[in-house]
Amino acid sequence: MGLIEFQTVLGRMLREQNRDDHLRGVCLEESESRYFEKLRDTAEFRFYGSVQRSWCIARATKAAHLTLSLLPKEERERLLDEWVDSGSGAQSFFFVEAESFLDFIGEHLSDRPREFTVCQFERASLRAIDGANVFVRPDAASLQRPDSCLRRGRYAALVCFDADPHQSSHGPLAQLFSVGQIVMFSPGLPQFWQEPSPEEVDLWKALESPTPVRTLLDHGHSIETLETLLSYGAIEYGNPHSSELR
Amino acid sequence: MRDKARGPVNGKPVQSLGVGFPYFAALPADLYRSDLVSFVEITPETLCRQRATESTIQIEIVPDRLATAQDTCDGLPVVIHGVELSIGSAHGLNQAYLKMLDSFQKEWPFVWHSEHLGFQTIAGDNGSRLEIGVPLPMPATVEAVELVAERSANIQQRYSVPFLLENPAHYFSELPADSEIGNEYRFLTAFTQQSGCYLLLDLHNLYCNAVNHHFDARNVIDTLPLDRVIEIHVAGGSWRDGFWMDAHDGRVPEPVWELLEYVLPIAPNVGGVVFELLEEYAIRLGVPAIENELRRAWQIWNLSHGAN
Repeated sequence: MGLIEFQTVLGRMLREQNRDDHLRGVCLEESESRYFEKLRDTAEFRFYGSVQRSWCIARATKAAHLTLSLLPKEERERLLDEWVDSGSGAQSFFFVEAESFLDFIGEHLSDRPREFTVCQFERASLRAIDGANVFVRPDAASLQRPDSCLRRGRYAALVCFDADPHQSSHGPLAQLFSVGQIVMFSPGLPQFWQEPSPEEVDLWKALESPTPVRTLLDHGHSIETLETLLSYGAIEYGNPHSSELR
Repeated sequence: MRDKARGPVNGKPVQSLGVGFPYFAALPADLYRSDLVSFVEITPETLCRQRATESTIQIEIVPDRLATAQDTCDGLPVVIHGVELSIGSAHGLNQAYLKMLDSFQKEWPFVWHSEHLGFQTIAGDNGSRLEIGVPLPMPATVEAVELVAERSANIQQRYSVPFLLENPAHYFSELPADSEIGNEYRFLTAFTQQSGCYLLLDLHNLYCNAVNHHFDARNVIDTLPLDRVIEIHVAGGSWRDGFWMDAHDGRVPEPVWELLEYVLPIAPNVGGVVFELLEEYAIRLGVPAIENELRRAWQIWNLSHGAN
């Protein structure tokens, strides 16, 4: 059996434990196919399968601890199973795994605003922490260049805890919901988050797509607000047509 | 207890480093500044973050993490023990890891460099690189030996320091094998002969396999090219579902210490012994217990190398 055939089938058998087409596109002799059939029935393969699955679930659980804690046990387990069954959960770098899994959970929570907001909060905090590893305070002088554009920071987010009069405030982050708090996450902030000013929220909303600095100033955003958000990475230089300032 | 030269490897002496311990940011720096640790094993990925662009994956060193690690290690010699290379993946090894290590070596030169013999990625249906989620062993085939030997020789040349492969723990009692190679341990001999590279003999991995596959670990040690062993690992494990698992979750079992006592006097070029743990278990085990394990390693080391 060729090495690539051996690895492809064995790897699929472990990554895709709920599928049975692991031989797809792989050319094997009959005896080689039988090797895998026999292997699948062994205690040692089941052990590998169990270890792989538990490690993948552990990675995902660690990534979304807060959001998962809001969900009923059955739903939590169903989401984790669905995630691992899709072949996910195997990334060894924590932030990569965390972001993907929180995106996945978020898609399942779109009709549940409170849980969705907590998911956004958790994702935003992890992203800001990760961004802090590479964040360098940009030079505000480039704001004066006529061709400067700004966009939302890659590691920044604005999370709105919309107050819901029909729900009592309990559980994680209850106080933030009760007052309808808005929180801005940025990699350059000392604690990675702060309550933004109304001007900062307006600027964030205006930057749904990259926008020239001149346009922002024409629309009444102050140069001080631009400089402040730029200094901690909530916004950054960026032009869809040129990367020279990135 | 540091930097004693002994035994020729490719005409150069192997640095005799003594007893080492992995770098964990969560442990007190004092542990690394005690006489119990004479070198540090760094897994560089723990000082990195991964960034995906549209077409590639990059592994970037995080400057603050690197600076903290260098400060903690306080000038001790370091060796590299990577986990992300997937040297045995037929579809290709992790080039992003090697690019990262190029930068790492410029920032923090290392005495030698080791990786795990095995594979943990496969090609997806669209050719993308897919993580399996667990490391898997290589079949003992001519093709596998040639692939790993050629890649290893290139890596050794790239960094100009000895490159070592670690014998894996695994749970399969039967793996495909060619008669020319025979079994996974003869794989190691063929690998060293073809590559000119070296071995990291993980005694706990060997112990795991001996327990799970019912053989005598000493008999296997006797068949290995012990003159190619530069580093030795000792570690702990635990039972799970009827298998002794290489969990790195505690103290070193007594039979593994006995294997260390057996192998050190007959492996002439060993430069260091490392007590391996996972970081979360290192925190749980605590510094006093870790120090006890390191003292035990030093006692055995000194028996074959002479106390300083």
